Amino acid sequence: MSDNGTLLSVENLSTHFFTQQGVVRAVQDVSFSVKSGRTFALVGESGCGKSVTALSLMRLVPYPPGKIVSGKITFEGRNLLGLSERRMRAIRGNRIAMIFQEPMTSLNPVFTVGNQIVEAIRLHQHKSRSRAWDLAEQMLHEVRIPDPAHRISEYPHQMSGGMRQRVMIAMAVSCKPALLICDEPTTALDVTIQAQILDLLAELQKQNQMSILLITHDLGIVAERADDVAVMYASKIAELADCRSLFLQPLHPYTQGLLKSVPQLGFTGKRLNTISGIVPEPLHFPSGCKFHPRCPIGCNDKRCQTIEPELRRVKDGRAVACWYAPGYERSDDIKV
Amino acid sequence: MKAPKGVSLWRDGMRRLFHRRLAVVCLGIIVIYFLLVAFIYVVELFNWRIGPTLWAEPTGPSYQPPGSENIFGTDIFGLSVLRKTLYGAKISITVALFASIISIAIGVPLGAIAGYFRGIVDDVIVWLYSTLSSIPYILLILAFAVVLRDKTIAGQKLTGITSVYLAIGLTGWVGICRLIRGEVIKHKEHEYVLAAKSYGCTNKRIIFRHLLPNVFHIVIIVFSLRFVSFIHAEIILSFLGLGEADRPSWGAMINDARIELARGVWWQMVAATVAVFFISLALNIFGDALRDSLDPKLKVQ
Repeated sequence: MSDNGTLLSVENLSTHFFTQQGVVRAVQDVSFSVKSGRTFALVGESGCGKSVTALSLMRLVPYPPGKIVSGKITFEGRNLLGLSERRMRAIRGNRIAMIFQEPMTSLNPVFTVGNQIVEAIRLHQHKSRSRAWDLAEQMLHEVRIPDPAHRISEYPHQMSGGMRQRVMIAMAVSCKPALLICDEPTTALDVTIQAQILDLLAELQKQNQMSILLITHDLGIVAERADDVAVMYASKIAELADCRSLFLQPLHPYTQGLLKSVPQLGFTGKRLNTISGIVPEPLHFPSGCKFHPRCPIGCNDKRCQTIEPELRRVKDGRAVACWYAPGYERSDDIKV
Repeated sequence: MKAPKGVSLWRDGMRRLFHRRLAVVCLGIIVIYFLLVAFIYVVELFNWRIGPTLWAEPTGPSYQPPGSENIFGTDIFGLSVLRKTLYGAKISITVALFASIISIAIGVPLGAIAGYFRGIVDDVIVWLYSTLSSIPYILLILAFAVVLRDKTIAGQKLTGITSVYLAIGLTGWVGICRLIRGEVIKHKEHEYVLAAKSYGCTNKRIIFRHLLPNVFHIVIIVFSLRFVSFIHAEIILSFLGLGEADRPSWGAMINDARIELARGVWWQMVAATVAVFFISLALNIFGDALRDSLDPKLKVQ
């Protein structure tokens, strides 16, 4: 609950897609919590269920074929999955806002950016059109768009990718949300713009005291910006830890593999480490631990091949789902 | 340094449109027809007795050939063919205009809803328009026109012209519905729709505020191209005797000409077909030019 500073807690969330080829379990039994004012990062490869988790939080999973089949999402003391669509709309954009990966397509091409920010503002706040317009201009100023008075009446196609992402951020934070979900906010941008956008997000976070759920596959960004991290693999959380201890001492073999395969400055001569094998297809997950076919420890282990380890709390608030993680077997605390 | 002023897609399209000389000429022709119709309406409103509204008064002997007295000659009752032709524009364009408005009012929302929600809603709407379009068009219009003719709806007796545009409008929405549905299916996958949902828009708002403006150029283009076929439909109905009975229309004039032609009276036929020819050609060329200039993918000139 919202005491001890937890803003959002997700318990055993499962989201499935019912396709003609079968049920795709895109998110399975995912549990984590985001503390207020902090940044929580969700890391994983493409297709591991990060984005679907984010869409599930907003209840925006396309239905059909997607459906949240079980779980509980508690946000500011309310279970989001039990709310009516109408109540949920009042939360979207107002208390939880989202920015997307692709700034080139996430603004409507036929409206000026001012129009779109004003729309987002007026959906949730009782403001006259001109007051909302003033606020929109101020938001553009806050996200560092030069000459906002002029830029506000421009169309998205007149702006660069970085500027559009700033507009998206202005839209998202215009109602001062408590939680901002950033779904790969910088993937489509240049590295220099990336840093600027991340700085901007950090600054807005401090200013508005909002929490950020950062979805990314870039471990560099995680190391630099996140407070807590969940590593996802094949629809499940493999490891959950605070950022520092995750990087210092990864417990799950997958996390270890990921960290080894990050190229380092001054690292020459040798081939880069990789995790062998490929991500399993969501329709045909392997039995037992889903990582075992690629795992240096578990590939020949009977238990890893047959019994799937659940996420267990091990020590210092860390949790991991691996039979061989230190302290895992002794832990009776299944629930995270 | 000042950045160039932003231009909306519309203004940009219009600018490109006006760079085409032929399109401008065609627009001029269309405007002349519409002004003529507006003029006739105004004249009838004030009961002025001038020009085409005097079509019912004989101006010479029966079947007078074109000459200095009557430029297009006269018909069997000695009525001026020129006046009848001009007056015919009123019937045709009024019918086409109302039929277009009706078919857009039905086709656009249905198409948008079908494309946006998909599922069972889509199935029902697709079934509806597939069924309608499986019946031969002219037969369907004829059936509607016969059924609607002289019916009383909400205390109002349907006059000839009303039943004609109702019949055409109620059957003519299929094409536009199908196009809008396809475009909406394409556009709803764009991330701006998800973004709009993520800041709390209702489905209604997304369809009508976000998606329709993005596909509306199609409505305009289809409108200008369908307009011609609605004019043709009116002419066919009048030709078959299901249109406006008491006032001159192009279809009725062509129908008259069936008998006249055997006697060598060609001018009524020619006058009506020339009138149809120019408006059809102008609308077609203009519609094409409109499509070329409003489609952002064809920006090369």
